Amino acid sequence: MNAPVTSPVSPDVASMTDELHWLGVAGAAEAIVTGDLSPVTLVTALLKRIEKLEPELHAFIRLDREAALAAAKVAEAEARAGRLRGPLHGVPVGIKDIIDVAGLPTTSHSKVLADSPPAKADAICVERLRAAGAIVMGKLSTHEFAIGGPSFDLPWPPARNPWNAGHHPGGSSSGSGAGVAAGFFPMALGTDTGGSVRNPASCCGIVGMKATYGLVSRRGVFPLSFTLDHVGPMTRTVTDNALMLSVLAAHDPQDPGSAAPPHAHYLDALDRGAQGLRIGFVRHFHERDMPAHPETAAALENVMRSLQLAGADVRDITLPSLIEFGAVNRVILQSEAWSIHAPWLRERPGDYGRLARRRLMPGAFFGAGDYVTANRRRREMIAEVNAALAEVDVLLCASSMDPACRIDDASEVERTYPRQARMPFNVTGHPAIAMMAGLSSNGLPLSVQFVGRYFDEAMLYRVARAWEQIAGMDTKRPPI
Amino acid sequence: MDKQIVDALARRAGLDKALAEFPDDVAAAARQAADVMAKIKAQDEPRAEPWPAMRAGEGL
Repeated sequence: MNAPVTSPVSPDVASMTDELHWLGVAGAAEAIVTGDLSPVTLVTALLKRIEKLEPELHAFIRLDREAALAAAKVAEAEARAGRLRGPLHGVPVGIKDIIDVAGLPTTSHSKVLADSPPAKADAICVERLRAAGAIVMGKLSTHEFAIGGPSFDLPWPPARNPWNAGHHPGGSSSGSGAGVAAGFFPMALGTDTGGSVRNPASCCGIVGMKATYGLVSRRGVFPLSFTLDHVGPMTRTVTDNALMLSVLAAHDPQDPGSAAPPHAHYLDALDRGAQGLRIGFVRHFHERDMPAHPETAAALENVMRSLQLAGADVRDITLPSLIEFGAVNRVILQSEAWSIHAPWLRERPGDYGRLARRRLMPGAFFGAGDYVTANRRRREMIAEVNAALAEVDVLLCASSMDPACRIDDASEVERTYPRQARMPFNVTGHPAIAMMAGLSSNGLPLSVQFVGRYFDEAMLYRVARAWEQIAGMDTKRPPI
Repeated sequence: MDKQIVDALARRAGLDKALAEFPDDVAAAARQAADVMAKIKAQDEPRAEPWPAMRAGEGL
Protein backbone atom coordinates (compact mmCIF):
# COMPACT_ATOMS: atom_id res chain seq x y z
CA MET A 1 0.00 0.00 0.00
CA ASN A 2 0.95 3.66 -0.20
CA ALA A 3 2.66 5.32 2.73
CA PRO A 4 0.18 6.93 5.11
CA VAL A 5 -0.61 10.57 4.47
CA THR A 6 0.69 12.76 7.25
CA SER A 7 -2.11 14.72 8.85
CA PRO A 8 -1.60 18.50 8.93
CA VAL A 9 -2.12 18.24 12.67
CA SER A 10 -0.59 14.97 13.80
CA PRO A 11 -3.22 13.20 15.88
CA ASP A 12 -2.42 12.59 19.49
CA VAL A 13 -4.92 9.79 19.67
CA ALA A 14 -4.32 9.01 23.32
CA SER A 15 -5.45 12.51 24.30
CA MET A 16 -8.46 12.36 21.96
CA THR A 17 -10.25 9.37 23.43
CA ASP A 18 -13.38 11.40 24.14
CA GLU A 19 -13.17 13.27 20.86
CA LEU A 20 -12.33 10.59 18.31
CA HIS A 21 -15.29 11.84 16.28
CA TRP A 22 -13.24 14.87 15.25
CA LEU A 23 -10.36 12.79 13.94
CA GLY A 24 -10.05 13.35 10.20
CA VAL A 25 -9.45 10.91 7.34
CA ALA A 26 -5.68 11.34 7.15
CA GLY A 27 -5.32 11.43 10.94
CA ALA A 28 -7.36 8.26 11.47
CA ALA A 29 -5.58 6.41 8.65
CA GLU A 30 -2.20 7.40 10.06
CA ALA A 31 -3.11 6.35 13.61
CA ILE A 32 -4.40 2.98 12.37
CA VAL A 33 -1.22 2.38 10.39
CA THR A 34 0.99 3.15 13.40
CA GLY A 35 -1.17 0.99 15.67
CA ASP A 36 -2.18 3.93 17.88
CA LEU A 37 -5.84 3.48 16.97
CA SER A 38 -8.00 0.44 16.43
CA PRO A 39 -10.72 0.63 13.75
CA VAL A 40 -13.09 -0.99 16.27
CA THR A 41 -12.40 1.76 18.81
CA LEU A 42 -13.00 4.40 16.15
CA VAL A 43 -16.24 2.90 14.81
CA THR A 44 -17.53 2.32 18.35
CA ALA A 45 -16.83 5.95 19.26
CA LEU A 46 -18.63 7.16 16.15
CA LEU A 47 -21.63 4.90 16.81
CA LYS A 48 -21.88 6.42 20.29
CA ARG A 49 -21.78 9.90 18.78
CA ILE A 50 -24.47 8.93 16.26
CA GLU A 51 -26.67 7.41 18.96
CA LYS A 52 -26.50 10.67 20.89
CA LEU A 53 -27.11 13.16 18.07
CA GLU A 54 -28.93 11.32 15.28
CA PRO A 55 -32.40 11.79 16.85
CA GLU A 56 -31.89 15.53 16.34
CA LEU A 57 -30.01 15.54 13.01
CA HIS A 58 -31.55 12.70 10.94
CA ALA A 59 -28.44 12.23 8.78
CA PHE A 60 -29.15 8.53 8.20
CA ILE A 61 -31.76 6.65 6.21
CA ARG A 62 -30.20 3.42 7.42
CA LEU A 63 -27.37 3.05 9.92
CA ASP A 64 -25.63 -0.27 9.20
CA ARG A 65 -24.28 -0.72 12.73
CA GLU A 66 -23.57 -4.47 12.66
CA ALA A 67 -21.89 -4.45 9.25
CA ALA A 68 -19.74 -1.46 10.23
CA LEU A 69 -18.59 -3.15 13.43
CA ALA A 70 -17.92 -6.43 11.61
CA ALA A 71 -15.88 -4.59 8.96
CA ALA A 72 -13.98 -2.75 11.71
CA LYS A 73 -13.07 -6.08 13.36
CA VAL A 74 -11.76 -7.41 10.04
CA ALA A 75 -9.82 -4.16 9.46
CA GLU A 76 -8.33 -4.41 12.93
CA ALA A 77 -7.17 -7.99 12.39
CA GLU A 78 -5.71 -7.06 9.02
CA ALA A 79 -3.89 -4.06 10.50
CA ARG A 80 -2.44 -6.20 13.28
CA ALA A 81 -1.21 -8.66 10.66
CA GLY A 82 0.33 -5.82 8.66
CA ARG A 83 -2.09 -6.36 5.77
CA LEU A 84 -3.34 -2.84 5.06
CA ARG A 85 -5.75 -2.59 2.14
CA GLY A 86 -4.93 0.97 1.15
CA PRO A 87 -4.74 4.61 2.27
CA LEU A 88 -8.21 4.55 3.90
CA HIS A 89 -7.72 1.37 5.92
CA GLY A 90 -10.26 1.34 8.76
CA VAL A 91 -11.63 4.83 8.03
CA PRO A 92 -15.46 5.14 8.22
CA VAL A 93 -17.50 6.66 5.40
CA GLY A 94 -21.18 7.57 4.91
CA ILE A 95 -22.91 7.01 1.56
CA LYS A 96 -25.70 9.16 0.10
CA ASP A 97 -28.73 6.97 -0.47
CA ILE A 98 -28.84 7.34 -4.23
CA ILE A 99 -25.55 5.38 -4.42
CA ASP A 100 -25.62 1.57 -4.37
CA VAL A 101 -24.10 -0.30 -1.46
CA ALA A 102 -24.25 -4.08 -1.86
CA GLY A 103 -26.80 -5.67 0.45
CA LEU A 104 -28.67 -2.44 1.23
CA PRO A 105 -31.63 -0.94 -0.63
CA THR A 106 -31.12 2.35 -2.48
CA THR A 107 -34.23 4.37 -1.62
CA SER A 108 -33.33 7.84 -2.95
CA HIS A 109 -35.20 9.01 0.20
CA SER A 110 -38.46 8.39 -1.68
CA LYS A 111 -41.63 6.40 -1.19
CA VAL A 112 -41.24 5.44 -4.86
CA LEU A 113 -38.22 3.25 -4.02
CA ALA A 114 -38.84 2.68 -0.30
CA ASP A 115 -39.39 -1.05 -0.84
CA SER A 116 -36.49 -1.60 -3.24
CA PRO A 117 -34.61 -4.89 -2.93
CA PRO A 118 -31.02 -4.68 -1.65
CA ALA A 119 -28.46 -3.60 -4.25
CA LYS A 120 -26.58 -6.55 -5.70
CA ALA A 121 -23.26 -4.75 -5.97
CA ASP A 122 -21.46 -1.65 -4.76
CA ALA A 123 -21.39 1.40 -7.00
CA ILE A 124 -17.89 1.81 -8.44
CA CYS A 125 -17.16 4.75 -6.14
CA VAL A 126 -18.08 2.64 -3.09
CA GLU A 127 -16.12 -0.30 -4.45
CA ARG A 128 -13.01 1.90 -4.75
CA LEU A 129 -13.40 3.26 -1.22
CA ARG A 130 -13.78 -0.23 0.21
CA ALA A 131 -10.81 -1.50 -1.80
CA ALA A 132 -8.78 1.30 -0.15
CA GLY A 133 -9.92 0.05 3.25
CA ALA A 134 -12.90 2.31 4.05
CA ILE A 135 -15.74 1.08 6.31
CA VAL A 136 -19.31 1.88 5.22
CA MET A 137 -21.38 3.20 8.14
CA GLY A 138 -24.71 3.33 6.31
CA LYS A 139 -26.95 5.15 3.84
CA LEU A 140 -27.59 8.86 4.23
CA SER A 141 -30.51 11.25 3.85
CA THR A 142 -30.84 13.15 0.60
CA HIS A 143 -33.36 15.46 -0.97
CA GLU A 144 -35.76 13.10 -2.75
CA PHE A 145 -34.04 11.72 -5.88
CA ALA A 146 -31.38 14.40 -5.33
CA ILE A 147 -33.74 17.12 -6.54
CA GLY A 148 -36.51 17.70 -3.98
CA GLY A 149 -35.75 19.87 -0.99
CA PRO A 150 -35.86 19.60 2.76
CA SER A 151 -39.28 17.90 2.80
CA PHE A 152 -41.56 16.72 5.56
CA ASP A 153 -43.87 14.61 3.33
CA LEU A 154 -41.45 11.71 2.74
CA PRO A 155 -41.02 8.35 4.52
CA TRP A 156 -37.96 9.70 6.41
CA PRO A 157 -37.46 13.13 7.99
CA PRO A 158 -35.05 15.63 6.40
CA ALA A 159 -31.51 15.98 7.75
CA ARG A 160 -30.77 19.07 9.85
CA ASN A 161 -27.81 21.40 10.24
CA PRO A 162 -25.38 20.56 13.08
CA TRP A 163 -24.54 24.25 13.51
CA ASN A 164 -28.20 24.89 14.38
CA ALA A 165 -30.71 22.07 14.07
CA GLY A 166 -33.48 24.56 13.36
CA HIS A 167 -31.82 25.27 10.01
CA HIS A 168 -31.43 23.12 6.88
CA PRO A 169 -28.06 21.55 6.06
CA GLY A 170 -28.24 22.23 2.31
CA GLY A 171 -28.72 19.51 -0.24
CA SER A 172 -29.28 17.42 -1.97
CA SER A 173 -26.48 15.50 -0.19
CA SER A 174 -27.98 16.66 3.10
CA GLY A 175 -27.15 13.66 5.29
CA SER A 176 -23.59 13.63 3.92
CA GLY A 177 -23.06 17.27 4.88
CA ALA A 178 -24.76 17.00 8.27
CA GLY A 179 -23.00 13.74 9.16
CA VAL A 180 -19.49 14.92 8.29
CA ALA A 181 -20.00 18.23 10.11
CA ALA A 182 -21.46 16.49 13.18
CA GLY A 183 -18.57 14.05 13.50
CA PHE A 184 -20.59 10.95 12.55
CA PHE A 185 -17.88 9.95 10.03
CA PRO A 186 -14.85 11.83 8.70
CA MET A 187 -15.83 11.47 5.04
CA ALA A 188 -18.93 10.95 2.91
CA LEU A 189 -19.96 10.53 -0.68
CA GLY A 190 -22.37 13.01 -2.21
CA THR A 191 -23.58 13.69 -5.72
CA ASP A 192 -23.72 17.03 -7.54
CA THR A 193 -25.96 17.85 -10.54
CA GLY A 194 -26.77 21.47 -9.78
CA GLY A 195 -24.53 21.93 -6.73
CA SER A 196 -25.59 19.12 -4.40
CA VAL A 197 -22.14 18.32 -2.94
CA ARG A 198 -21.17 21.97 -2.65
CA ASN A 199 -24.45 23.20 -1.13
CA PRO A 200 -24.30 21.04 2.01
CA ALA A 201 -20.56 21.72 2.20
CA SER A 202 -21.41 25.44 2.18
CA CYS A 203 -24.24 25.18 4.71
CA CYS A 204 -22.41 22.83 7.09
CA GLY A 205 -18.95 24.43 6.95
CA ILE A 206 -17.12 21.45 5.45
CA VAL A 207 -15.22 20.83 2.20
CA GLY A 208 -17.08 19.52 -0.89
CA MET A 209 -15.44 18.82 -4.24
CA LYS A 210 -17.24 18.42 -7.54
CA ALA A 211 -14.36 17.17 -9.63
CA THR A 212 -14.12 17.43 -13.43
CA TYR A 213 -17.02 15.70 -15.20
CA GLY A 214 -16.09 12.07 -15.73
CA LEU A 215 -13.26 11.90 -13.19
CA VAL A 216 -15.32 9.80 -10.73
CA SER A 217 -17.44 6.94 -12.06
CA ARG A 218 -21.24 7.31 -11.86
CA ARG A 219 -21.90 3.61 -12.34
CA GLY A 220 -24.22 2.34 -9.61
CA VAL A 221 -25.56 5.82 -8.80
CA PHE A 222 -29.26 6.56 -9.43
CA PRO A 223 -29.13 9.14 -12.22
CA LEU A 224 -30.71 12.59 -12.19
CA SER A 225 -29.15 14.07 -15.32
CA PHE A 226 -26.70 12.09 -17.45
CA THR A 227 -25.02 15.25 -18.74
CA LEU A 228 -24.60 16.97 -15.38
CA ASP A 229 -24.25 14.27 -12.68
CA HIS A 230 -21.04 14.08 -10.65
CA VAL A 231 -20.04 12.06 -7.58
CA GLY A 232 -17.97 13.97 -5.05
CA PRO A 233 -16.01 13.64 -1.80
CA MET A 234 -17.11 15.52 1.34
CA THR A 235 -14.76 15.93 4.31
CA ARG A 236 -13.91 18.36 7.11
CA THR A 237 -10.52 19.37 5.71
CA VAL A 238 -8.95 20.02 2.34
CA THR A 239 -6.21 17.42 2.91
CA ASP A 240 -8.81 14.75 3.68
CA ASN A 241 -10.74 15.70 0.56
CA ALA A 242 -7.65 15.38 -1.64
CA LEU A 243 -6.91 12.00 -0.11
CA MET A 244 -10.45 10.78 -0.73
CA LEU A 245 -10.46 12.00 -4.34
CA SER A 246 -7.13 10.29 -4.98
CA VAL A 247 -8.91 7.01 -4.19
CA LEU A 248 -12.08 7.82 -6.17
CA ALA A 249 -10.58 9.18 -9.40
CA ALA A 250 -10.20 6.52 -12.07
CA HIS A 251 -11.35 5.67 -15.56
CA ASP A 252 -14.38 3.39 -15.76
CA PRO A 253 -14.83 1.96 -19.26
CA GLN A 254 -18.44 1.06 -18.44
CA ASP A 255 -19.46 4.64 -17.55
CA PRO A 256 -20.11 6.40 -20.89
CA GLY A 257 -19.12 9.77 -19.35
CA SER A 258 -15.93 8.51 -17.74
CA ALA A 259 -12.71 10.30 -18.57
CA ALA A 260 -9.21 8.89 -18.75
CA PRO A 261 -7.15 11.76 -17.37
CA PRO A 262 -3.42 11.76 -16.80
CA HIS A 263 -2.51 10.52 -13.32
CA ALA A 264 -2.75 13.35 -10.82
CA HIS A 265 -1.16 13.79 -7.40
CA TYR A 266 -3.72 15.78 -5.46
CA LEU A 267 -1.70 15.86 -2.26
CA ASP A 268 1.63 16.99 -3.67
CA ALA A 269 0.92 20.71 -4.15
CA LEU A 270 -1.27 21.12 -1.07
CA ASP A 271 1.07 23.26 0.99
CA ARG A 272 2.58 25.43 -1.72
CA GLY A 273 0.48 28.42 -0.60
CA ALA A 274 -1.00 31.24 -2.64
CA GLN A 275 2.22 33.00 -3.60
CA GLY A 276 2.24 33.66 -7.34
CA LEU A 277 -1.23 32.26 -8.03
CA ARG A 278 -3.37 34.14 -10.54
CA ILE A 279 -6.94 34.29 -9.25
CA GLY A 280 -9.97 35.54 -11.20
CA PHE A 281 -12.66 36.99 -8.92
CA VAL A 282 -16.14 36.55 -10.44
CA ARG A 283 -17.75 39.42 -8.57
CA HIS A 284 -20.77 39.88 -10.79
CA PHE A 285 -22.23 36.55 -9.65
CA HIS A 286 -22.85 37.86 -6.14
CA GLU A 287 -22.83 41.62 -6.72
CA ARG A 288 -25.04 41.99 -9.80
CA ASP A 289 -26.62 38.71 -10.93
CA MET A 290 -27.86 37.60 -7.49
CA PRO A 291 -26.95 40.18 -4.84
CA ALA A 292 -25.65 38.19 -1.87
CA HIS A 293 -26.46 38.56 1.81
CA PRO A 294 -24.13 41.33 3.09
CA GLU A 295 -22.26 38.91 5.37
CA THR A 296 -21.62 36.55 2.43
CA ALA A 297 -20.34 39.44 0.30
CA ALA A 298 -18.05 40.60 3.12
CA ALA A 299 -16.72 37.07 3.65
CA LEU A 300 -15.92 36.71 -0.07
CA GLU A 301 -14.10 40.03 -0.02
CA ASN A 302 -12.13 38.83 3.01
CA VAL A 303 -11.11 35.57 1.26
CA MET A 304 -10.00 37.55 -1.79
CA ARG A 305 -7.96 40.08 0.26
CA SER A 306 -6.40 37.33 2.40
CA LEU A 307 -5.20 35.42 -0.64
CA GLN A 308 -3.93 38.67 -2.15
CA LEU A 309 -1.96 39.36 1.03
CA ALA A 310 -0.57 35.84 0.80
CA GLY A 311 0.91 36.69 -2.58
CA ALA A 312 -1.83 35.91 -5.11
CA ASP A 313 -2.49 38.19 -8.06
CA VAL A 314 -6.25 38.81 -8.09
CA ARG A 315 -8.17 40.33 -10.99
CA ASP A 316 -11.86 40.60 -11.85
CA ILE A 317 -13.29 38.14 -14.38
CA THR A 318 -16.61 38.27 -16.21
CA LEU A 319 -18.54 35.15 -17.19
CA PRO A 320 -22.07 34.75 -18.59
CA SER A 321 -24.87 35.71 -16.22
CA LEU A 322 -25.63 33.38 -13.35
CA ILE A 323 -29.29 33.57 -14.32
CA GLU A 324 -28.58 32.17 -17.78
CA PHE A 325 -26.23 29.49 -16.44
CA GLY A 326 -29.04 28.43 -14.11
CA ALA A 327 -31.56 28.30 -16.94
CA VAL A 328 -29.31 26.12 -19.11
CA ASN A 329 -28.74 23.81 -16.15
CA ARG A 330 -32.47 23.52 -15.49
CA VAL A 331 -33.46 22.75 -19.10
CA ILE A 332 -30.86 19.99 -19.45
CA LEU A 333 -31.37 18.62 -15.93
CA GLN A 334 -35.17 18.60 -16.01
CA SER A 335 -35.38 17.23 -19.56
CA GLU A 336 -33.11 14.32 -18.70
CA ALA A 337 -34.73 13.77 -15.29
CA TRP A 338 -38.12 13.61 -17.01
CA SER A 339 -36.84 10.84 -19.25
CA ILE A 340 -36.01 8.88 -16.08
CA HIS A 341 -39.06 9.67 -13.95
CA ALA A 342 -41.88 9.94 -16.53
CA PRO A 343 -43.26 6.41 -16.00
CA TRP A 344 -43.53 6.90 -12.23
CA LEU A 345 -44.84 10.47 -12.51
CA ARG A 346 -47.57 9.20 -14.82
CA GLU A 347 -48.62 6.24 -12.69
CA ARG A 348 -47.91 7.24 -9.09
CA PRO A 349 -47.44 11.03 -8.80
CA GLY A 350 -48.68 10.88 -5.21
CA ASP A 351 -45.70 8.76 -4.18
CA TYR A 352 -43.40 11.76 -4.71
CA GLY A 353 -43.11 14.57 -2.20
CA ARG A 354 -44.48 17.90 -3.38
CA LEU A 355 -41.08 19.53 -3.96
CA ALA A 356 -39.67 16.69 -6.07
CA ARG A 357 -42.92 16.43 -8.06
CA ARG A 358 -42.78 20.15 -8.86
CA ARG A 359 -39.10 20.00 -9.79
CA LEU A 360 -39.34 16.89 -11.96
CA MET A 361 -42.47 17.70 -13.97
CA PRO A 362 -41.14 20.77 -15.87
CA GLY A 363 -39.32 18.29 -18.09
CA ALA A 364 -42.71 17.33 -19.54
CA PHE A 365 -43.13 20.85 -20.88
CA PHE A 366 -39.81 21.34 -22.68
CA GLY A 367 -39.64 20.62 -26.39
CA ALA A 368 -36.81 18.89 -28.22
CA GLY A 369 -35.74 22.28 -29.58
CA ASP A 370 -35.43 23.65 -26.04
CA TYR A 371 -33.05 20.86 -25.10
CA VAL A 372 -30.88 21.46 -28.17
CA THR A 373 -30.90 25.22 -27.54
CA ALA A 374 -29.66 24.68 -23.98
CA ASN A 375 -26.91 22.35 -25.18
CA ARG A 376 -25.82 24.80 -27.87
CA ARG A 377 -25.59 27.56 -25.28
CA ARG A 378 -23.74 25.15 -23.01
CA ARG A 379 -21.04 24.72 -25.61
CA GLU A 380 -20.56 28.50 -25.78
CA MET A 381 -20.47 28.73 -21.98
CA ILE A 382 -17.76 26.06 -21.82
CA ALA A 383 -15.68 28.10 -24.27
CA GLU A 384 -16.19 31.25 -22.18
CA VAL A 385 -15.09 29.58 -18.92
CA ASN A 386 -12.11 27.99 -20.69
CA ALA A 387 -11.12 31.43 -22.04
CA ALA A 388 -11.27 32.89 -18.52
CA LEU A 389 -9.16 30.06 -17.17
CA ALA A 390 -6.54 30.68 -19.85
CA GLU A 391 -5.87 34.03 -18.12
CA VAL A 392 -5.84 32.83 -14.50
CA ASP A 393 -5.07 29.65 -12.56
CA VAL A 394 -8.29 29.53 -10.62
CA LEU A 395 -11.61 31.36 -10.24
CA LEU A 396 -12.94 32.57 -6.89
CA CYS A 397 -16.68 33.13 -6.56
CA ALA A 398 -19.69 32.69 -4.30
CA SER A 399 -21.17 29.30 -3.56
CA SER A 400 -24.35 30.06 -1.57
CA MET A 401 -25.56 33.65 -1.51
CA ASP A 402 -27.07 33.25 1.97
CA PRO A 403 -26.41 31.27 5.14
CA ALA A 404 -28.83 28.34 5.62
CA CYS A 405 -32.33 29.48 6.53
CA ARG A 406 -34.72 27.81 8.96
CA ILE A 407 -35.78 24.36 7.74
CA ASP A 408 -39.42 24.94 8.69
CA ASP A 409 -39.71 28.20 6.73
CA ALA A 410 -40.89 26.84 3.38
CA SER A 411 -41.04 30.22 1.64
CA GLU A 412 -37.50 31.14 2.73
CA VAL A 413 -36.22 27.71 1.61
CA GLU A 414 -37.91 28.32 -1.76
CA ARG A 415 -36.40 31.82 -2.01
CA THR A 416 -32.83 31.01 -0.99
CA TYR A 417 -32.23 27.58 -2.58
CA PRO A 418 -31.77 28.86 -6.15
CA ARG A 419 -29.57 31.75 -4.92
CA GLN A 420 -26.28 30.02 -5.64
CA ALA A 421 -23.34 30.01 -8.07
CA ARG A 422 -22.71 26.28 -8.33
CA MET A 423 -24.84 25.37 -11.36
CA PRO A 424 -22.46 27.04 -13.87
CA PHE A 425 -19.83 24.39 -13.28
CA ASN A 426 -22.22 21.48 -13.69
CA VAL A 427 -23.09 23.03 -17.05
CA THR A 428 -19.43 23.32 -18.06
CA GLY A 429 -18.01 20.32 -16.17
CA HIS A 430 -15.12 22.29 -14.64
CA PRO A 431 -13.92 21.19 -11.19
CA ALA A 432 -15.21 23.28 -8.29
CA ILE A 433 -14.70 23.12 -4.55
CA ALA A 434 -16.82 24.77 -1.85
CA MET A 435 -15.76 25.42 1.72
CA MET A 436 -16.30 27.68 4.70
CA ALA A 437 -15.48 31.37 4.29
CA GLY A 438 -16.44 32.37 7.83
CA LEU A 439 -19.38 32.42 10.21
CA SER A 440 -22.43 34.65 10.08
CA SER A 441 -23.46 36.78 13.05
CA ASN A 442 -25.95 34.06 14.02
CA GLY A 443 -23.26 31.38 13.97
CA LEU A 444 -23.94 29.69 10.63
CA PRO A 445 -21.29 28.91 8.00
CA LEU A 446 -20.70 31.26 5.08
CA SER A 447 -19.08 29.86 1.97
CA VAL A 448 -16.67 30.39 -0.90
CA GLN A 449 -16.08 28.44 -4.11
CA PHE A 450 -12.93 27.92 -6.19
CA VAL A 451 -13.11 26.71 -9.79
CA GLY A 452 -10.28 25.30 -11.90
CA ARG A 453 -9.29 24.03 -15.31
CA TYR A 454 -10.35 20.58 -16.41
CA PHE A 455 -8.51 17.90 -14.40
CA ASP A 456 -6.58 20.52 -12.41
CA GLU A 457 -8.10 19.54 -9.07
CA ALA A 458 -4.58 19.76 -7.58
CA MET A 459 -4.64 23.53 -8.14
CA LEU A 460 -8.03 23.80 -6.40
CA TYR A 461 -6.75 21.87 -3.42
CA ARG A 462 -3.71 24.15 -3.28
CA VAL A 463 -5.70 27.38 -3.14
CA ALA A 464 -8.35 25.88 -0.84
CA ARG A 465 -5.63 24.68 1.54
CA ALA A 466 -4.01 28.11 1.45
CA TRP A 467 -7.30 29.72 2.53
CA GLU A 468 -7.91 27.00 5.11
CA GLN A 469 -4.50 27.65 6.68
CA ILE A 470 -4.86 31.43 6.63
CA ALA A 471 -8.25 31.35 8.35
CA GLY A 472 -7.91 28.19 10.42
CA MET A 473 -11.07 26.82 8.83
CA ASP A 474 -10.07 23.23 9.59
CA THR A 475 -10.33 23.95 13.31
CA LYS A 476 -13.89 25.31 13.31
CA ARG A 477 -16.53 22.91 14.65
CA PRO A 478 -20.28 23.18 15.20
CA PRO A 479 -21.26 23.67 18.85
CA ILE A 480 -22.54 20.16 19.46
CA MET B 1 -49.17 29.76 -20.28
CA ASP B 2 -52.89 29.36 -20.94
CA LYS B 3 -54.56 26.70 -18.74
CA GLN B 4 -56.02 24.88 -21.73
CA ILE B 5 -52.58 24.63 -23.32
CA VAL B 6 -51.03 23.44 -20.05
CA ASP B 7 -53.74 20.77 -19.70
CA ALA B 8 -53.29 19.63 -23.30
CA LEU B 9 -49.50 19.41 -22.96
CA ALA B 10 -49.80 17.59 -19.63
CA ARG B 11 -52.20 15.04 -21.16
CA ARG B 12 -49.91 14.59 -24.15
CA ALA B 13 -47.11 13.80 -21.67
CA GLY B 14 -49.35 11.25 -19.93
CA LEU B 15 -49.81 13.32 -16.76
CA ASP B 16 -53.61 12.85 -16.55
CA LYS B 17 -53.37 11.44 -13.05
CA ALA B 18 -51.14 14.27 -11.83
CA LEU B 19 -53.47 16.76 -13.48
CA ALA B 20 -56.42 15.31 -11.56
CA GLU B 21 -54.66 14.95 -8.21
CA PHE B 22 -52.11 17.79 -8.20
CA PRO B 23 -53.29 20.46 -10.66
CA ASP B 24 -51.33 23.21 -8.88
CA ASP B 25 -48.08 21.26 -9.17
CA VAL B 26 -48.66 20.65 -12.88
CA ALA B 27 -49.40 24.35 -13.45
CA ALA B 28 -46.28 25.34 -11.46
CA ALA B 29 -44.12 22.95 -13.50
CA ALA B 30 -45.44 24.34 -16.78
CA ARG B 31 -44.86 27.91 -15.60
CA GLN B 32 -41.32 27.05 -14.52
CA ALA B 33 -40.50 25.50 -17.90
CA ALA B 34 -41.72 28.59 -19.75
CA ASP B 35 -39.86 30.98 -17.43
CA VAL B 36 -36.59 29.10 -17.74
CA MET B 37 -36.54 29.09 -21.54
CA ALA B 38 -37.07 32.84 -21.58
CA LYS B 39 -33.75 33.30 -19.73
CA ILE B 40 -31.56 31.62 -22.35
CA LYS B 41 -29.94 33.86 -24.96
CA ALA B 42 -31.49 33.44 -28.40
CA GLN B 43 -29.30 31.54 -30.84
CA ASP B 44 -28.31 33.54 -33.90
CA GLU B 45 -26.42 30.73 -35.62
CA PRO B 46 -28.79 27.96 -36.71
CA ARG B 47 -25.93 25.74 -37.80
CA ALA B 48 -24.22 25.72 -34.36
CA GLU B 49 -23.74 22.22 -32.98
CA PRO B 50 -24.82 21.35 -29.47
CA TRP B 51 -22.31 19.87 -27.03
CA PRO B 52 -20.99 17.26 -27.28
CA ALA B 53 -20.63 16.24 -30.89
CA MET B 54 -20.59 12.49 -31.53
CA ARG B 55 -17.07 11.09 -31.63
CA ALA B 56 -17.05 7.84 -33.54
CA GLY B 57 -14.84 5.12 -32.21
CA GLU B 58 -14.67 6.51 -28.68
CA GLY B 59 -16.42 5.28 -25.56
CA LEU B 60 -18.97 2.50 -25.63
